[in-house]
Amino acid sequence: MQRPELWRTTTFRLTLVYGAVFAAGVVALLGLIYASAAVYLTRQMDEIVLGEARGLQTGPAAAMPQRVRDAETQDIRNVNFYGLFKRNGSWIAGNVRRLPIDVPLNGVPLQLREPGFQPGARALAERLPSGEILFVGFDAKVLTGLRSIIMVSLIWSGALIIVLGLGLGAALSLAPLRRIRAVQQASLPILEGDVSARLPTSNRHDEIDMLAAIANGMMDEVERLLWAVKSVGDNVAHDLRTPLTRLRALLYRVRQESGGSLHDNQMLDQALGETDALLGRFKAIQRISEVDRRERRAGFAPVRLKSLVEEIGELYEPLAEDRRLTLVTEAEAACEILADRELLFEAFSNLVGNAIKFTPPGGAVRLALSKQAEGPRLEIIDSGPGVPEDERDAVLQRFYRGRRDRDVPGSGLGLSIVAAVARLHDFRMVLGDASPGLRVTLDCWPTAMRY
Amino acid sequence: MTRILTIEDDETTAREIVSELTRHGFEVEWVADGRAGLVRAVSGEFEAVTLDRMLPGVDGLTIVSVMRSAGIEVPVLMISALTEVDERVRGLRAGGDDYLTKPFASEEMAARLEVLLRRARTQPRQTVLRIGALDMDLVTRQVRRGGREILLLPTEFKLLEFLMRNSGQVLTRTMIFEAIWGYHFDPGTNLIDVHLGRLRRKVDGAGEEPMIKTIRGSGYIIHAAS
Repeated sequence: MQRPELWRTTTFRLTLVYGAVFAAGVVALLGLIYASAAVYLTRQMDEIVLGEARGLQTGPAAAMPQRVRDAETQDIRNVNFYGLFKRNGSWIAGNVRRLPIDVPLNGVPLQLREPGFQPGARALAERLPSGEILFVGFDAKVLTGLRSIIMVSLIWSGALIIVLGLGLGAALSLAPLRRIRAVQQASLPILEGDVSARLPTSNRHDEIDMLAAIANGMMDEVERLLWAVKSVGDNVAHDLRTPLTRLRALLYRVRQESGGSLHDNQMLDQALGETDALLGRFKAIQRISEVDRRERRAGFAPVRLKSLVEEIGELYEPLAEDRRLTLVTEAEAACEILADRELLFEAFSNLVGNAIKFTPPGGAVRLALSKQAEGPRLEIIDSGPGVPEDERDAVLQRFYRGRRDRDVPGSGLGLSIVAAVARLHDFRMVLGDASPGLRVTLDCWPTAMRY
Repeated sequence: MTRILTIEDDETTAREIVSELTRHGFEVEWVADGRAGLVRAVSGEFEAVTLDRMLPGVDGLTIVSVMRSAGIEVPVLMISALTEVDERVRGLRAGGDDYLTKPFASEEMAARLEVLLRRARTQPRQTVLRIGALDMDLVTRQVRRGGREILLLPTEFKLLEFLMRNSGQVLTRTMIFEAIWGYHFDPGTNLIDVHLGRLRRKVDGAGEEPMIKTIRGSGYIIHAAS
């Protein structure tokens, strides 16, 4: 079963999406703040530049170079730039020695792109009535500062959002995840066939509870139906058994007491035989229910399969010989397993009996116990017609009579008993192709169920 | 005449048991109630008891354990609708001598009861079994018919020993399977028949009168060649 992973949970993904949206919002907000602040600050700087230019022009034109020098001296912060140039552009005064070429001489402030200035610096140039050129600039590096503030905010808030988002996502997902794992754990017995098991619910009535309640409702119905089907089968078997037993007793008494003709007696024997076959079939149905019902591991004890397999081989050897078949028993000493010896004997003997029944005279049946890494493996291989692949699952069901069974008497329950015994022990039974013939493999170790 | 007590609450089953046992020459007393059955069982008037496992009043298991603690050692055949292995073990542990599950064939029930009666009557310390010309030495494990030695495999030996211990008695296939192999399920097919067939070929040699006979629909019987 796949383990639920934290980053696959809906809550976690939702938290991540929320985090991303929130981060985008933060970026947009800071961007807007930056843009508005930039516009506002630019306007402020433009006014400063215009004011400086106007201030420098008040007074006699001849004192202009001196005023420029004074202004320069007063600018302690060193944020203003001044330049006074002759008509031909050669320098007169100010800390700007060369007139920037891309500034039009129209007295309108604009962005200064000269090297040596920070982005966002504003400047204007204007031709004075005297023909000289006045350049005034302002570069307080405010936009750069603002930008770095915004960047730092972005980085910090981004990191915070990521850390908090992941943390919150994990925290929010863990609780439901724990419950999902509990549900998964609780569903294991159901998958293994315990239809009475139910999923856990809390009293939170959240979506997990709703799903668990739906699943539990379905399980109730499954259990009810299974029980109904099973009890119909068992009841039919049980209810018919009593009248059949009485019928058989009557037939038997008639047979014992009749002084009838040979022909009559033959017919009576035949009727008795048929009744016995019917009774045998009902007994087998009840046997399967009994094995299925049996308390798990109640009759379990250490079993040596080698001696059990040899016993089976010895029991069936005369029957095989009678059918002109070769029965080969190969039993490797395997480790002891915890099992119900009597049921295993019944199951193995059913398998070997089947193999002998379906193998035509002259063929061979091999009964092999081998030691695998996981435990002992029993294989019964015959040289009969085999079971077509599409019938292999069905032959394990109750009453299934395959194509090969048509001419052979039997209840069609032998393999179902074996399947029930395998289920009880958690053993895996596989029908395979021995080309030609059937290979039944019974892995005698508990198989951990995987889904 | 051998007196048998039948404790069985189901009338049809009881009538079946009574008529079959009567046909086999027993005198049968039927009690339908557990309490009355217990009183009759400890009276010491019977040589064997057929006992239903589930009874109104006192339960079958209680009856057999009370009988045993009262020192009544007559054979008890427990008859039950409970088929589970644990039930069988419980019944036998309580003191029952054999356990038969319903539904049963009447002749099987009678055969089992006769085997129980015979076992109770014969002394267990026999070392040689003898039927007519057939001798089985349980110590040397030698089997002879007249002057001819019969070599048997271990299973065949056990089979013949079981037949000889119950000679003149019909033994069903289930009884044979239970006695020799010790399992309690229907092995189906003619598994037991082929084992008996092998044994018969060894015991009844060519030209000899057959000692092992098949009883149609029931089982097998061994008796001295006439």
